[in-house]
Amino acid sequence: MGFPLLAALIVTPIVGAAAVAIVPAARKELHLPIGVAVSLLPIALAGLLFAEFEPSANFQFVEFAAWYPEWGINWHVGVDGIAMPLILLTTLLIPISLAASVAITDRIKLFVIMVLMLEAGLIGVFVSLDLIVFFVFFEAILIPMYFIIGIWGSEDRIYAAIKFFLYTAFGSALMLAGIIALGALSAEQTGVWSFDYLDLLDLELTRQTQGWLFAGFAVAFAIKVPIFPVHTWLPDAHVQAPTAGSVILAGVMLKLGTYGFLRFNLPLFPQATVDAIPIMATLAVIGIVYGAVVAIVQPDLKKLVAYSSVSHLGFIVLGIFALTRAGLEGGVIQMINHGLTTGALFLLVGMIYERRHTKAIADFGGLAKIMPIFAGLFLFMAFASIGLPGLNGFVGEFLILIGSYATLPVYSIIAASGVVLAAIYLLWAYERVFTGEPTKEENKVLSDLNLREISLFVPLVVLIILLGLYPNILLDRISPSTDAVLERVAATSSYELPALDLSAGGE
Amino acid sequence: MFDALGASTSWLAIAPEIVLLLAAVVVLAYDIVAKPDNHDVHAAVAIVGIGGAAAFTWAQWRSDLVGQEFFLNMARLDGLSIVVRFLLVAVLGLATVAAWPLLRELGRRGAEMLALMFIATIGFSFLASSGNLVMMFIGLEIGSISLYVLAGITRERRLADEAAMKYFLLGSFASAIFLYGVALFFAGTGSLFLVALPSALASVVFTKPGVILVALGLMAAGLLFKVTAAPFHAWAPDVYQGAPAGVVGFMAAAAKIGGFAALARIVWEAYGPFLDDWQAPLAGIAAISIVVGTLLAIAQSDIRRMLAYSGIAHAGFILIGIATGPASRYAVSFYLAVYTIQLVAAFTVAATVSGPGSSGSAREEYVGLARRAPLLAATLGLMMLAMSGMPVTAGFVAKFGVFREGWIGGLEWLVILALVASVAAFFFYLRVIVDMYFREPVETPGTPKAAPQAPPSVRWMLAIISVATIVLGIYARPLLDFLEASL
Repeated sequence: MGFPLLAALIVTPIVGAAAVAIVPAARKELHLPIGVAVSLLPIALAGLLFAEFEPSANFQFVEFAAWYPEWGINWHVGVDGIAMPLILLTTLLIPISLAASVAITDRIKLFVIMVLMLEAGLIGVFVSLDLIVFFVFFEAILIPMYFIIGIWGSEDRIYAAIKFFLYTAFGSALMLAGIIALGALSAEQTGVWSFDYLDLLDLELTRQTQGWLFAGFAVAFAIKVPIFPVHTWLPDAHVQAPTAGSVILAGVMLKLGTYGFLRFNLPLFPQATVDAIPIMATLAVIGIVYGAVVAIVQPDLKKLVAYSSVSHLGFIVLGIFALTRAGLEGGVIQMINHGLTTGALFLLVGMIYERRHTKAIADFGGLAKIMPIFAGLFLFMAFASIGLPGLNGFVGEFLILIGSYATLPVYSIIAASGVVLAAIYLLWAYERVFTGEPTKEENKVLSDLNLREISLFVPLVVLIILLGLYPNILLDRISPSTDAVLERVAATSSYELPALDLSAGGE
Repeated sequence: MFDALGASTSWLAIAPEIVLLLAAVVVLAYDIVAKPDNHDVHAAVAIVGIGGAAAFTWAQWRSDLVGQEFFLNMARLDGLSIVVRFLLVAVLGLATVAAWPLLRELGRRGAEMLALMFIATIGFSFLASSGNLVMMFIGLEIGSISLYVLAGITRERRLADEAAMKYFLLGSFASAIFLYGVALFFAGTGSLFLVALPSALASVVFTKPGVILVALGLMAAGLLFKVTAAPFHAWAPDVYQGAPAGVVGFMAAAAKIGGFAALARIVWEAYGPFLDDWQAPLAGIAAISIVVGTLLAIAQSDIRRMLAYSGIAHAGFILIGIATGPASRYAVSFYLAVYTIQLVAAFTVAATVSGPGSSGSAREEYVGLARRAPLLAATLGLMMLAMSGMPVTAGFVAKFGVFREGWIGGLEWLVILALVASVAAFFFYLRVIVDMYFREPVETPGTPKAAPQAPPSVRWMLAIISVATIVLGIYARPLLDFLEASL
């Protein structure tokens, strides 16, 4: 075992948080810059991760250390092609959200510490190969996000923070019951307790057992995604959270749910996965259409972006439960795409809110004349979100739609309407906010984005174009892992892979 | 006279209790004779007494006397008694630091309080380290009566008087029920030693004699009262709220440690063969405690009442382990240790914020505490997260251990119920964090503006407990290994 890169990725933000903690509270001007600086280190480590990553289905950078061996709990981490891109996304969005938080002046030190702890926890979730380690990170990240929403959110922040926490914690509790049950089943079948992912893959589970366990895990992940009808915490949390909180919530935390389905539900409970396809696909499609329709009628820009997430995440869930190569690949790459574009949209909404202290669409109009750079960026992100060919969103949605058409044609066709609806809510919002002549006096004095703000979007824009033009830079690394998941489901359940199944990545 | 005890005499077996008793007597005598106007000597004696008790417990643990009985089998030296002594001495030490502001406030009466805390510790220690039911009863009463007096030690305060009276009346009732159970045990087995029951069973053909089971039921009811399990919990919220804040943490922790240790000893040791008879009722009481404690805690607007109700739920969590059987003894003792020390820390913060002699800690007093007293708020916040079983705190390891044992022991339904209740419990634990961190004093009229002051010793104690809570949450193996090696 060489350099423990994954442990370093988790520890670096924690050390950074400790460094921020020892800076005296009186030096308020130092905390945010130090936080941004230390959050650049994980990017460098993640770059190393990307460079050294071999495109294969194996778990790489594996670390193993005894933790509670007599309980079957060990520090076992590693990444495959599903986790690696999400780690890159996390390390990228954290410094951007921190650097976008200059408006926060109250208890900035605590804020920076919380964001860095959140980063450590998020990376921990994506690298865990032991279910208890996974649960520890999955649950622990609730605390920093709870503080971020509760302290630095808007008027209804306390309600939103508690709702966010209780919803997710309820899901986690059922998942923990499932995890303990898996450990007990492992003890029954092999004689030793183990919560190791790779050990649990070898368990022989009856169809009924799989069903129960699938349900326990699925509730946790469905709440996190969120899948209709357990999505109701999302608009509150996203709208009340400060900009950094919304960016991290939408950009990374929602992906924990879809990642969890891919990592745990499909490989561990393949038969139950196949049995659940009708329910999951139906809920996904309801989410796609419902989220989009509700987004259209939102009078608040931030709520609009929040509901668009419900719709977009529905696509990802549909792609996963289509159980085709293209669907799974599209699901993973769409997680990255959504993180980039929705993160950017929340940043933009946050920037206009800092200037105007309102997010209501009706308060704006003709902003393109006053803030041309802002308008241009918003339009660019809207196009990326809608799925304009040449930008990243197109790749993901296209893969998901062709992938789901192979096995779930009816669902696929209904889901395609989501693309059209996305164009409606985003472009209509653009029209009302940016086009025409400025009508309100308050808007005429607004300043356009400054250099610091523009620089935050540079990496996002570059990646959106790069992934739009050359998605194989990621897909080549994703597809071996998604293929492995798919082959496992096909080999261990009654599922038969469709004869014609395209893959965008790999060979 | 002592010759009659013969080979079974080893003063080491009761040395920690002797040291504590000497310390209590010295404190009282010094206070009466010297009439000091400060408490420096008291502090010195307390340090020597607690340190000596810890050292002798250590010596017991290292000695080859473990597993034997002494003084005509009245004092038992085994893993459980040693672990309980360590825990009681630790709680006594932390609680003495926490109670010092109250002790200063009480002036000359402070010596009495200190002596009573020491004597209560002796009582619960004897309760946990004897296999004789009369000896256990005497220990229980020494401990309980000391706690009744402690509840009313600030006798000018009406709420404290009420709390002490309520605790005394209901507590005596519970002790009487326990004693009735002891009498029936004697009637059924002809002996007052716990070991008599398994041997009586071996020599007699009849099984499941009713009187033996009724005896268990009565003894368990008496002890379940002391550990605030539902439906024997009704006294706890009033007492926790009314008794002086500085000493409530000790009262709650010591009674729970002694009560659970005795309960575990009785059901596992004497009634082990009757597992089928007592597992279901005990699991039922665990379920009732978890549900009642959690639901009623949600409705509380006073932090100390909330802690009392959450303590009922925690009693239920510990009962999951007890109902599972002796296999869960590490999990139960770890939970008990982690929880009681969290309880002391939480009540210490309450005592500092509301005043050491205060009755009641309304939620409004905690609004914006994070700005006024960051260390106190951080400690209380961490304790709330630990009590809720959040990962990366010792509370998670404790809950996981108990749930795992419960699952193995066939109580899956109870574990799932406990998990769901843990989620509901977030509601009231997180509300404390909401008050301290999310709400501003300006939004709520009538909240105090001044920063509560804690002496450096209390600040250090809280910091140490906080660090220990996180360290144990990340890596609890050394403590678990110690428990496994001892029990």
